[in-house]
Amino acid sequence: MDDIKTVAKELLTSGKVNAVIGYIRYGNDKRTKPFIAQKPEDVDKFVINNFILNNLAVYLTRKEVSKLGKVAVIAKGCDAKAITALIQENQIKKEDIHVIGINCNGVTKDFDIDFNSENIAGKCLNCDVRTPKLCDSLVGALADIPSGEDLKLKMIRGVEAKNAEERWDYFEDEFNKCIKCYACRQACPLCYCEQCIVDKSIPRWIESSATKRGNFSWNLIRAFHLAGRCIGCNECERACPMDIPLSLLNRKMAMIAKDEFNYDAGTDMNAPTLVGSYDLKDNEDFIE
Amino acid sequence: MENKNQDPKIVAFVCNWCTYTGADLAGTSRLKYQPNVRMIKLPCTGRIDPVFIIKAFEKGADGVLVSGCHPGDCHYNAGNYHARRRWIMFHKLLDYLGIDESRLHFSWVSASEGKKFVDVVNAFTNKVKAKGPFKKYENINKEFVING
Amino acid sequence: MEEKIISKENLLKLCSDLLKNNVDIVTPGEKGYIKIKNESEISLNSKSKHTKASFKEYVFPKSEPIIYYKKNQSDVEIIEPKVEEKTTVIFGAKPCDVRSISILSKIFNWDYKDEFFNVRSRNTVLIGMMCEYADEFCFCTSVNLSPTSSDGSDVFLVPHDENTFGVKIVTEKGADLLKPYENYLSAGNSEKTKAIEASVKQPEKVFDAEKVRQWISGNFENDYWNSIGKMCLGCAQCAFVCPVCHCFDIVDEDYNYYEGRRMKNWDGCQFDMFTKHASGHNPRDDQSKRYRQRISHKFKYYPDKFEEILCTGCGRCSRGCPVTIDIKGIVTEINELAIK
Ligand code: SF4
Ligand code: SF4
Ligand code: SF4
Ligand code: SF4
Ligand code: SF4
Repeated sequence: MDDIKTVAKELLTSGKVNAVIGYIRYGNDKRTKPFIAQKPEDVDKFVINNFILNNLAVYLTRKEVSKLGKVAVIAKGCDAKAITALIQENQIKKEDIHVIGINCNGVTKDFDIDFNSENIAGKCLNCDVRTPKLCDSLVGALADIPSGEDLKLKMIRGVEAKNAEERWDYFEDEFNKCIKCYACRQACPLCYCEQCIVDKSIPRWIESSATKRGNFSWNLIRAFHLAGRCIGCNECERACPMDIPLSLLNRKMAMIAKDEFNYDAGTDMNAPTLVGSYDLKDNEDFIE
Repeated sequence: MENKNQDPKIVAFVCNWCTYTGADLAGTSRLKYQPNVRMIKLPCTGRIDPVFIIKAFEKGADGVLVSGCHPGDCHYNAGNYHARRRWIMFHKLLDYLGIDESRLHFSWVSASEGKKFVDVVNAFTNKVKAKGPFKKYENINKEFVING
Repeated sequence: MEEKIISKENLLKLCSDLLKNNVDIVTPGEKGYIKIKNESEISLNSKSKHTKASFKEYVFPKSEPIIYYKKNQSDVEIIEPKVEEKTTVIFGAKPCDVRSISILSKIFNWDYKDEFFNVRSRNTVLIGMMCEYADEFCFCTSVNLSPTSSDGSDVFLVPHDENTFGVKIVTEKGADLLKPYENYLSAGNSEKTKAIEASVKQPEKVFDAEKVRQWISGNFENDYWNSIGKMCLGCAQCAFVCPVCHCFDIVDEDYNYYEGRRMKNWDGCQFDMFTKHASGHNPRDDQSKRYRQRISHKFKYYPDKFEEILCTGCGRCSRGCPVTIDIKGIVTEINELAIK
């Protein structure tokens, strides 16, 4: 298997791409940050390890990056799902990018912690895309990864077991912490709208105030706008400075999409999107 | 406040071609229905953005009724199919967040179903009356009100 | 400066008394600054990591109404909300957090006197505590602060050992707060305090703020800004968690046709909407321009105007940045460019 530096260097020197988006070590060895290499010698800094948390697909729709021309992007399996979804939604063209997939051995929940069964990210526990489904080159080798408990799933089951009032109270408290910084939106590869509904002021659909009401509608609509689109990278939750468990919403929506429509986001770039399509036989038990 | 229980606010989002015309038929046929519904007409159920439903609750609705053409009858062919898919996701999300399913009702009412419209409105109004005011939403609406 | 000693037990008793006397106590907790109900929630750990967000919310709330309005036939009635005059003690905050209030009060008392801020800060007593944390994102020493600085505190605590704290009474306000509780305090040992302070690991000084200020003045169009602009996601997490970022937006929100409120909400210069004109024109139309604003405001405009750096070196913005854009690293690089 080729290594990341060789592949990235070749892409840059041959002129196949103008830039490669990857990860470099930063601060300590339990942290990385995204980096855009534009010169072949830049790629020497690239690393692949268990701390490459960012979903670099977020950069593909940013105008500051698209003006660099054709880019290559390093993608874990889950990140490649986001790229697939972006292609499905006509935000990028497959031929305009080069995906360097990596055989992924899991990542941590956050930076600055050891990679072990306690700290492995929930999404990695039952991952079925450790070898990305969409890639133009593939680097790295698969190894055994720690198993652990899917705590977020447990939390979702816990919420489901509550009655409606308790569920409301639980989410009201969580959303109340929101400061409307929109880090969740900005970190999400699929939140690419040029103008977010929360920024629309005429009419003002979602109050910009970080009040209980404004926060409730923001968090609800954000989750809804990602229904059937969220690929579960969990970057939103990691970005949230107030530790709001956003995955409880995103994952629940993904579970509904699976149950109702047998739909998995980001798995087929030629498939129609979930909410952009319909089926004559869609369930209507709840409609009178 | 006391009699609010008996006088819930209900907002209905209806499509122009079927349910609205059905409601009109109910009127011209002199069928009586409970007066709690404030109707908002849209070109198609496909135009009913779920954020409208949230806005209705923010403005004090105790219940929201959504209604349009039966499958196969859409004036624009597929608007209601798209809407239906969205509603499936949306009503499950609301339920998960603790918004009681009985506060949001979906129905298909055609232009000729004046009687069905009356039945739907009456049944839903009774259901919301039984539930009482939407206290949970009232509470979050109450934050930062005048002299509050 | 007067100095005393207090045992941990008495310190907690003091907090319990304050709570009984209807004083709010805000202290760093697991998930951020919390308003406590019971003194047992106080951790008093000088080695703890910074909370994700600062305590600025307690002097400058994330959202607050600044007027209410009611319309009738011909007139509009304006009702001004009152900020409650209630003592809040910020307890055990790090020097880099405590210092934020005096920096913020410059802007909130510049031409317009912001009563919302002033009432709250007047009623806030700051009990700072020496910091023994310091990670790779900390740089208080580069912005004229230090882990042992009592600058900005009303009372400053220096842990002598697990159960004893040196108490520096820095201001009148601090003395007034402690006065009723004198019997909890005993004679000070400033020698010991000094020795402990001297032993604290100081983050290395990595830049010269004056050199940085000068470089920014002459390098508005420097290509350096682009290297950051293409990585930054524009989320403004950095501004929202920062103890001294203070931008806000004002919006009217109606309850109904006749009544409504005018809200003051946190805002941040990393949003593209921040400078977007009604015409659609946006003078900061690229993330590099927005990031340049962030650094320029902190290290040039604010110092130019108020002789204060708009940064306490806490490193929060970097620790929490989803793509680890590290302000310390960036300003250090600018410092190197300035020397070249
Ligand atoms: S979810 Fe799968 S592909 Fe993504 S980081 Fe975890 S193991 Fe790797
Ligand atoms: S909503 Fe969150 S988990 Fe889903 S794609 Fe966006 S950032 Fe990833
Ligand atoms: S990141 Fe968290 S605090 Fe910020 S807007 Fe999203 S949910 Fe709210
Ligand atoms: S937190 Fe980081 S990514 Fe977000 S605006 Fe600030 S510097 Fe940019
Ligand atoms: S700019 Fe960053 S380091 Fe400076 S005070 Fe604000 S959060 Fe702390």
